Formats: sequence, C-alpha cells, structure tokens
Amino acid sequence: MDRNRKKRRLAGLIQGSLPLERRPFRFLAEQAGLTEEEVLSGIGEWKREGIVRKFGAVLRHREAGFGENAMVLWAVPPDRREEAGRVFASFPEVSHCYERTPAFEGRYVLYTMVHGRGKPLEEIVSEMARRAGIGDFRILKTVREFKKTSMRYFP
Amino acid sequence: MDELDRRILNEIQKSFPIVSDPWEEVGTRLGVSGDEVFSRVKRLAGEGLIRRIGAVFDPVKLGFASTLCAARVPEDRLEAFVRTVNAFEGVTHNYERDDAWNVWFTVIASSEEELDRVLGEIRGKTGIREILDLRSTRKFKIDATFEL
Repeated sequence: MDRNRKKRRLAGLIQGSLPLERRPFRFLAEQAGLTEEEVLSGIGEWKREGIVRKFGAVLRHREAGFGENAMVLWAVPPDRREEAGRVFASFPEVSHCYERTPAFEGRYVLYTMVHGRGKPLEEIVSEMARRAGIGDFRILKTVREFKKTSMRYFP
Repeated sequence: MDELDRRILNEIQKSFPIVSDPWEEVGTRLGVSGDEVFSRVKRLAGEGLIRRIGAVFDPVKLGFASTLCAARVPEDRLEAFVRTVNAFEGVTHNYERDDAWNVWFTVIASSEEELDRVLGEIRGKTGIREILDLRSTRKFKIDATFEL
C-alpha cells in the first residue's frame, strides 16, 4: 500500500474516535500500516496546514453542564457586520459566529450559537446586543436535539 | 466531576498532546501521574461526557461544501421529516427550535454540486417545500471548546 493510501486511512481513523489506549497513536499506526512516528508527524502536518482545525476531545456539552443554548440571529447593516461579528466572537459563551446569505426573513444575517453555562441566556444576549449596538435580534432556543454527529469525510 | 476532572477535560480539549504517551504528558502538565489521567479519561468517556477524541477537519480545506437549512414543518409531519433528513450522512446537526421555522439542520457534501443535489433530494423525499438554504459568507468564530 502506498503512503498516500496509508495517510487516507489514517485520516479515516482520526475522523472518528481515538481508541482509549495507553499508546493511542501506536494503536492507530498499526491499523493504518504506518509507524507511530509517521502518525504523529502526519497529524502535526495536517494541523499546521489547517486541514485539521483541532485535534482533541469533543465534549457532549449538554452532559457537561452547559445547559441552555440558543441560536441567535442578528439584523446588522452591511457596513457594521465586520465589527459586530468580532464583538460577538469575543464572548466566551459564543461558540460559532457566521454571516449567512440570503438574509433570514429579509433582515437577519449574523448567526451566533450561545451557550448559557448556568447564566440566563437572555442576560448574555442583551449584553451582546449592548456591546455590538445591535437591537434587532431573534433568539431561537433549542427545544430538542434530533441529531449531532461528526462528518465522515473519508470513506 | 471534581477539579482535576475539569482540568483534564480543559487540557485535552484545548491542547491534546500529539505524542506517544499523551496521558503521561497531560499528567506532567497537571502534576499527576499518567495512569491517573488515563483512568479518569476512561471514566469520563464512560459517563458520556466525552463524545470522542479525534480530529476536527476543516471541510473547506478538503474541498467540501456546507450549509445551514431552516425548515417550516407542520407538527404532524415533524417525525417523518426528521427521520428522512437524519438518514442523510451529510446531515450532521439537526435541532428543533422554538420558531415557526422549527427545524434547523446542517448539511455537508463533497462539492457544491453534491450539496445542491442532496438538498434537492431532501426536498423531494420529504415533500416539504419551505426549506431555506443559508450559506455562510463569512466566518467569525468556530470554537466548540467548552472551558469547564
């Protein structure tokens, strides 16, 4: 098997879950037909290139006590989006902040995922609104989680 | 969950060591043994707190395309709609939200064309016409790290 195919196999393995072994990368190496050194340097390379955005534990945040969360949509004029986006992104309670098109209901263009972490959501959102100077927003609370998985990019 | 559990979870979320014995390395950072870290991680995983430990790939760098969809689904068709949508591998997140647009899900596909095709198939199979396709034009933050 050539090196590229082995690396694809490694990518396929790390898109899932690292085995809870004392030497997890050696375990992966055996499965991919690589050396442990090649696995470690391969992951390091992908991280540097940004192909792997993050390597580490992904938590079930609801179980970890992050409680209430919501998607909050903001109506922001084009010339203020960059600034508002940065302000929202600076909040530790915000995990995701995107601009999207077309505007939802003709107005809402910035999307933030806000996690309460014990604080009332409304309190965090009004602080976000105040700091960004944006008064028109919609809080869409999570009622039920129907699905949450990680994408399988590699067959 | 005690203070050491919290510190371990923070450490393995934010800077998981890519080294031969990562548990030993985390232990060194936190001043405990590798065995202690390893057994605690196994317990926390068993309790369901850790979804997985692995790589989060950047879909854009891999040439993939993604979008967020909002759908207006009548209550009596909700269950069937969710079942159909969830069956697509590219649908990674799907939530009910308290709005007239009550179902919000994300779709990832191997290319823009494939993404359009999947969305067409979702519309066709579910019969729900009111599905918005909200593509991202700027990313300000993606950080699913939860400091404990």
